[in-house]
Amino acid sequence: MRTTINSLKKGEKAIIKDFDIDVIPLKLLEMGCLPGNTVELLQIAPFGDPLYLDINGSHLAIRIETAKEIDVELIKIKL
Amino acid sequence: MINQNINVALIGNPNTGKTSVFNQLTGLNQQVGNYPGITVEKKIGFCKLSHNIKANILDLPGTYSLNASSIDENVVIELMLNKNDKLYPDVALVVTDVENLKRNLLLFTQIKDLEIPTILVINMADRMAHKGITLNIPYLEEHLKTKIALISSRKGFGIDELKKLIVTYKSISNEPCLSASVIDPEYFNSLRKAFPNQLLYKLWLVITQDVNFLNLERKEIQGSFTKSHSDLKRLQQKETIKRYQFINDVLKEGLKVDATIAKDFRSKLDRVLTHKIWGYVIFFAILFVIFQSIFDWSKVPMDFIDSSFASLSTLANNTLPAGVLTNLISQGIIPGIGGILIFIPQIAFLFLFISILEESGYMSRVVFLMDKIMRKFGLSGKSVVPLISGTACAIPAIMATRNIENWKERLITILVTPFTTCSARLPVYAIIIALVIPDTRVLGVFNLQGLTLMLLYLLGFGMAIFSAYILNKILKIKGKTFFVVEMPNYKLPMFKNVAINVIEKTKAFVFGAGKIILAISIVLWFLASYGPGTKFKNADEIIRAKTANSTLSAQELENKVASYKLENSYIGIMGKTIEPAISPLGYDWKIGIAVISSFAAREVFVGTLATIYSVGGSDNENTIKNKMAAEINPATGKKIFNFASGISLLLFYAFALQCASTLAITRKETNSWKWPVGQLIFMSGFAYIVALIAYQILK
Amino acid sequence: MLQEIIAFIALGIALAFLIRKFFFKKKKFDKNCGDDDCGCH
Repeated sequence: MRTTINSLKKGEKAIIKDFDIDVIPLKLLEMGCLPGNTVELLQIAPFGDPLYLDINGSHLAIRIETAKEIDVELIKIKL
Repeated sequence: MINQNINVALIGNPNTGKTSVFNQLTGLNQQVGNYPGITVEKKIGFCKLSHNIKANILDLPGTYSLNASSIDENVVIELMLNKNDKLYPDVALVVTDVENLKRNLLLFTQIKDLEIPTILVINMADRMAHKGITLNIPYLEEHLKTKIALISSRKGFGIDELKKLIVTYKSISNEPCLSASVIDPEYFNSLRKAFPNQLLYKLWLVITQDVNFLNLERKEIQGSFTKSHSDLKRLQQKETIKRYQFINDVLKEGLKVDATIAKDFRSKLDRVLTHKIWGYVIFFAILFVIFQSIFDWSKVPMDFIDSSFASLSTLANNTLPAGVLTNLISQGIIPGIGGILIFIPQIAFLFLFISILEESGYMSRVVFLMDKIMRKFGLSGKSVVPLISGTACAIPAIMATRNIENWKERLITILVTPFTTCSARLPVYAIIIALVIPDTRVLGVFNLQGLTLMLLYLLGFGMAIFSAYILNKILKIKGKTFFVVEMPNYKLPMFKNVAINVIEKTKAFVFGAGKIILAISIVLWFLASYGPGTKFKNADEIIRAKTANSTLSAQELENKVASYKLENSYIGIMGKTIEPAISPLGYDWKIGIAVISSFAAREVFVGTLATIYSVGGSDNENTIKNKMAAEINPATGKKIFNFASGISLLLFYAFALQCASTLAITRKETNSWKWPVGQLIFMSGFAYIVALIAYQILK
Repeated sequence: MLQEIIAFIALGIALAFLIRKFFFKKKKFDKNCGDDDCGCH
């Protein structure tokens, strides 16, 4: 099971790993969605879609169908 | 000292306050036009930089990068690549927001690589303290090879320094930030060998974009250097990564954030405004307040405009020499213009509210809240603004669909927006409701007439959503679906920006719809003032003969003549001709005339009725009402305007596409005829059937 | 008489304007559209 942005819970942070360049539009990359950058899930819209994220400092919202194509690695918070 | 005129291009991400900077530099010396052939707005302004240097400032559409994904963004590239364009900039100002500098700099590095003198404008400097941000300006200037203007367009500081900086543009370095060849050294080396005189980065843009580059034929480049679509995308990804690496390195030293100071107002507010219950409650409450206020505030100005134009019309009639032209002016042109201007209060107020919501950043949250729901009907969260704007006027509303990325969602929004109840329908609704709906209270609280009006509004929205749903199922349009909405920081709307925005949108209505309405009013006046045959020509004698035995005042006689003339004019004949088609709906030829004329603009309906029911020159609602209430159908002996025909009329106007201006804008924005024509046929057909059924059931 | 003439000229202008607005063939432009529809389809 892939861990994608879609799998994040509210408040969780992750590092972007990989995604299929043909599926993710260039614009999203230009807004900071690049492998190695941090993504945090800030809010989920009622009904679950879209997702309000902080990607590399950019605050934006994308739909689940895009979010589920971006693989991430969860940043575990040290307790 | 010679006088100089230089071209300055304002570029930047959306939400960086670029428009504020533009407004600060140009004040009201700005013009909005169109780029030829496409529906993108061209904003140019003028600014005096120093006593002998003036600047033409071109405010380009906001974009995140030169890799265009919409026509808006294409415009930016086209300009930046074409040295022969007369607006080609001597200097580029890249406007950035200090809180989003990392992302904003992507565009900056791309512009810089085009080897145009570029000034980095860092806006919203007033927020630095709040967020614990400090900048090392000399370091940044050195590493980014530019000059920096730190400003706050909101507080108004830094603008003078910016102007001084622009004047020194020749001394700013044109060196690129990133050498394009790092993207793929081998490929770029061969490009360089083939085209030694061209900028590498420019070549790259031509290859990856669909742009017209006048000096080089795309074919030349494509021949030996074509790469597959996938490969190009991979290289673009690499380019983006390289640029961000560069930016990160520079900002590591150049920008420091003290997280302990940073206050986070945004997330607190977000939690409430996007809450699954409170979010919607607040949104609908805001909508309610907006509509209520618009109604209340518009009454006085509207009455004022109404009576002013009525007086103007009488004045023209009395002072100008008698004749056809005078009649055209006082009965066709002046009322026509009055009919356009009377909607300015409502439209301006609505756009005032929408503009404030957008400037404050709240609108993005609304889009966020509504997207999922809207998608069920084939629309986008971004369709909210057009749908709400449609209650003022469909024209600016349809123009507002330009930011919807997905073509299918945008098309559906354009097609269904005219179902929402626009301001022009209100006079029609008002008079019919006054005629056929009793003025009583329901449950002791709700005024029945007010309730009917509200129901009509809801019907409009409902129909819009419902047709969107159907269209979504029927239309087979594939397209990449890509949705992203930036969630900007909340900020207090700046009065200047809001005001200029409102003026622009109102102008769109006045000049867009206005010209068409005026032209049609002129044509209609002719159709109503001339008629074929002897009946029309001899109207005066015929009526005198008919009424020889009854005692009528001069005014009443005149009215009767006017009414007879109308019946036998071109438009009267048209009305009579369609009568058999509309009598199943409960209408007679008189209403038929009014319906035909209101194709110019729905509000013409009331004016035409005034003429038909021979109320002479005044538009006094009560008098028209009484006259209409008294009208009897000669065949049945019953009232023409009864409950059944009233409801039928209301429904007809709720659903019919009767605004020629809307057709025109739909054609423009969809670039084809099939959509507006289809819209016309469907909506008219639907309106007809519903009105028919309603009348037949209720009569 | 003059009034009639001017009035009919006004009518002519109005008609010409409407015809141009609604029946004018859209200008052909060279540029291709980008990836997603910019209104052409």
